[in-house]
Amino acid sequence: MEEPISCPSVARGTPGEWATSEFASLYHEHSRAIYYLALRFLGDPQKAEDATHDVFLKAFRRLDQFRSDATIRTWLYRIAINHCQNLCQSWHNRHIHANSEAAVWENSPANTDSPLRVLETKELGQRIQKTLEALSDEYRLLLLLVADEELSYEEIAALVGQSADAVRGKLHRARKAFAAHFGKTV
Amino acid sequence: MKQQTKLSQKPEHIAEQQTQSPAAKEFSTADELLRFDAAQTTVPPEIAERLKHSAANIAPSKTGWFKRLFN
Repeated sequence: MEEPISCPSVARGTPGEWATSEFASLYHEHSRAIYYLALRFLGDPQKAEDATHDVFLKAFRRLDQFRSDATIRTWLYRIAINHCQNLCQSWHNRHIHANSEAAVWENSPANTDSPLRVLETKELGQRIQKTLEALSDEYRLLLLLVADEELSYEEIAALVGQSADAVRGKLHRARKAFAAHFGKTV
Repeated sequence: MKQQTKLSQKPEHIAEQQTQSPAAKEFSTADELLRFDAAQTTVPPEIAERLKHSAANIAPSKTGWFKRLFN
């Protein structure tokens, strides 16, 4: 049986640190964030597993392309986002339908001031997935990124190629749409 | 500090998270709900195994530090 991956010191920051640090440590620190993004963006555990594998392998291969003006986490996110978006594009799924639906929900009079109530946490994943899939790719991605407390609005803005103010505005609408949809998934 | 920039902002809908029953929870925002969901998510151990095998096919100059970490 294989030895479990060791998890030594945390590897973050500059390329120099990377060069002398352990990839397993990096994997341990960031794999949950990348896997979760892939899982909820792609909506399929097997595809998320494949994507996470591919993202970290790409990261390893492109180590020399890492720029020190980004954190390792945002760099990994960038690879993951590109990867997931390419997959979605190749599947020709959801875009037109989801975009039109999201517009309806974000303008709906649903009571989004109420807290999001969850009676059964065991079904939470399914409800979240269903809700996210009802949103546009853009809203879905923004919500998944902002849920990562390690990312600032500025980093999210850089990842999606928009200004921080634009991200804040869209997030406001995305949260509203999410809350409206989530209430319907009971 | 970057993290504080985002976290210091008040969520759009404020409501204290509370447990209604052993299996019931309330989340004040989508962010909070997704953070909870992310924290509950387990990364399949198969990914690390696959990475280890994939790394074996990468140029020797790069595998040195990679491989030793997976041993």
